[in-house]
Amino acid sequence: MTLLSLSHVAKAYAGVPALSDVNLTLAAGEIHALMGENGAGKSTLIRILAGVIQPDRATIEMDGRPVTFESPGAAHRLGLRFIHQELNTVPALSVAENIFVGRRYPTRAGVFVDWRQLHATARAALDRLGITHVDTRRKMGSLSIGDQMLVRISSAFLSEAGAPARLYVMDEPTAALTREESERLFRVLREIRAGGGAVLYVSHRIDEVMALCDRATVLRDGTTIDTGRVAEITHDDLVALMIGRKVGEAYPPPATRPSGEVALVAQGIGNGALADVTLRVGKGEIVGIAGLSGSGQRELLRTLFGDLPLRRGTLELDGRPYHPKSPADAWRAGFAYVPRERRSEGLVLSRPIFENVTLAHLASQSLGGTFLRPRAERAFAARLGGDVRLRATGPGQLALQLSGGNQQKVVFARALSGNPRVLLLDEPTRGVDVGAKFDIYSIIRDMTANGMAVILVSSDLPELIGMCDRIAIMREGRMTGTVSARGLNEETLLNLCYGRGAEAAA
Amino acid sequence: MMALALLRRYGTLIGFVLILAVFWISLPETFMTARNWLNTTQQLSMLMVVAAGMTIVMAMGDFDLSVGSAASLAGIVAGALFIAGYPPAMAVGAALAIGLAGGAINGVLVSVIGILPFIATLATLTIYSGLAFVISGGKTISGKSIPESFGNFAREGLPLGEVGGVALMLPNLTIVAVAVVFLVWVLLEQTTFGRRLYAIGGNIEAAYLSGVPVRRLKLAAFALTGLSAAGAGLMYASRVASANPTQGSGLMLNAIAAVFLGMTMSEQGEPRILATVIGVLILGVLDNGLTQLAVDSYIRQILVGAIIVLAVSAGALGKRGRR
Repeated sequence: MTLLSLSHVAKAYAGVPALSDVNLTLAAGEIHALMGENGAGKSTLIRILAGVIQPDRATIEMDGRPVTFESPGAAHRLGLRFIHQELNTVPALSVAENIFVGRRYPTRAGVFVDWRQLHATARAALDRLGITHVDTRRKMGSLSIGDQMLVRISSAFLSEAGAPARLYVMDEPTAALTREESERLFRVLREIRAGGGAVLYVSHRIDEVMALCDRATVLRDGTTIDTGRVAEITHDDLVALMIGRKVGEAYPPPATRPSGEVALVAQGIGNGALADVTLRVGKGEIVGIAGLSGSGQRELLRTLFGDLPLRRGTLELDGRPYHPKSPADAWRAGFAYVPRERRSEGLVLSRPIFENVTLAHLASQSLGGTFLRPRAERAFAARLGGDVRLRATGPGQLALQLSGGNQQKVVFARALSGNPRVLLLDEPTRGVDVGAKFDIYSIIRDMTANGMAVILVSSDLPELIGMCDRIAIMREGRMTGTVSARGLNEETLLNLCYGRGAEAAA
Repeated sequence: MMALALLRRYGTLIGFVLILAVFWISLPETFMTARNWLNTTQQLSMLMVVAAGMTIVMAMGDFDLSVGSAASLAGIVAGALFIAGYPPAMAVGAALAIGLAGGAINGVLVSVIGILPFIATLATLTIYSGLAFVISGGKTISGKSIPESFGNFAREGLPLGEVGGVALMLPNLTIVAVAVVFLVWVLLEQTTFGRRLYAIGGNIEAAYLSGVPVRRLKLAAFALTGLSAAGAGLMYASRVASANPTQGSGLMLNAIAAVFLGMTMSEQGEPRILATVIGVLILGVLDNGLTQLAVDSYIRQILVGAIIVLAVSAGALGKRGRR
């Protein structure tokens, strides 16, 4: 029996389509996997179901009747429950209060909070997931991340009068859980299925999906590629469906080969987020970092860039010890960094292009390192803007007036402003249109031809294979192996990210 | 749409001109005279110096509530040293150093320890004020203990010749205020320091990742704001030839109001020193004109507040219209 059906869902952000044609049918009493690469549109679809954003176009039916999720409250009333990837907890409140966040507390005489009832209900919700070791009176913030996740999950299973839960939407719920904790969650999900409820289950862990789910829908580039019974498909077929497209001429060929000279050596570096990472990057070489999201890629760059402290291990740049204490140190030492979020981390949007370009090496553009020379700055920014094929009305245009791709080129122009020896890139082409993407790849190639070393963190596997010389794989803050990108196919790389066959490659 | 954008950008300036016109018409004899203007600039000079310093921290998106009590404290410190018999130059130097140190403490609280500026400077506001009371014993320091040269400074100025039989001079305090504005203008508009402060104000994370030493700059900016507050406190003490533990207390709100008025005039709504100057002039001219019109001082407060709300809401509405 069909519980929920979505057809022809489309959604664009500022003209860039995130979803173009998604079709999905969920039956009562099934666990349905939603799969796809990063950027395939899974998160956008979930946000639409949750009533957080509105689709540009969609036909949504529940029990055969048309419905709309115009707000989170509406989705809740229709019986949808969400467990998001992010924790979203209130650390200063108790476990029981966190379970009841967004719900009406049980009361006495309609006014006073019935604390005993609150804790008893919370206790029962936790016990159902087998979380007997967590006291409902403890502060949420004192729990481990895994336990916090379990508390959040138990909250979604709390039964409610008036709006019974019918569909659970879970976005990578096991990312922070141990195997035993995951198993307990799966047991509850199977109970829900047996009781006629439905689960939409988003996960990158293919083995988990194969074991738990009945059917799977695969998204790619905002479109439903296929829906089928999990029992009738192999692990490899599923990966092939997710990847789909070929590595083509999207990447400019390398002009020269790396010289073999070493630029950067990280030897056993570690801190709160990294454990014993060893990495070597040659002059003119592009080394990719692959892995599931949150495996420590961002933290590796932030450590190399002096933002996160280096607690263990050593770094060497061109044979000399390198120990940055701040991003300012890193820029001075010849590093450059293109952060992941260009709007919040990359640009001062309210300032003109030239001020953004010269910010990292402002002193070298100034008289005596102190007095500004705006005319020289503009000329300098215009020259670098030409190098990165920036399309703008002039160096005085405000950064906020540029398109995403051109904003990213401004960030690149800044990165190139001091002739860096090592360039750190974090998802450099995310949210960038195809044309600007090729320009950015060309810039990276040009720089490596001059001997610059590049570390490229990306969740875009074709990009890693198309651009890198070698690819290192990270898992849970560790390096699990390094492979040559030459002749590598996406399926092998994806399997390495999922931890299959990493030993063979390492 | 075009008209709205113009109004947003120049609304405050147009308002200023209207205010001038009203006063000129209602006070034809006295308002638009060199004498009155020179007098007004002297009255404004303390506020001008504090507002200039406030512009420095507000360029980073922070602000400093302690400037008023820092000004009082500086005056009291100088007064106490006068009583102890130190030469005026040394007392003035020590008072300025106290302001610099007080500002640096604000900077440490905000940038190193990471307290919100509102809370940090609210706390130091009461601390500096308390210190001023402790040092002075709650009494006004005046009379013979104030050296003549110190009190005379504010009364003297640069002679400008005679107009209509009245000797005119450019008051020393006005000269100091102009010099401070010029220095802050150079600092904010012409140096890497100022550029980086505006980058911090625009996007602190992006500035930090671009290698801007955020902590050090915040500390320096707060220290300079404290120094300017101390300078204003000394100017005040010189003008009334006495030091009182509460005499700077009115400066803080007016300085912040002046910067906000100025922000309604700048392109991206950021604080700019020359716009702050106009903000100070608006507040000063209103005060001067309304006093001459014998408007009750309580009514004056209400009018000044209403004009600030009007100017800032016009800016906010204009911004919303652009979205």
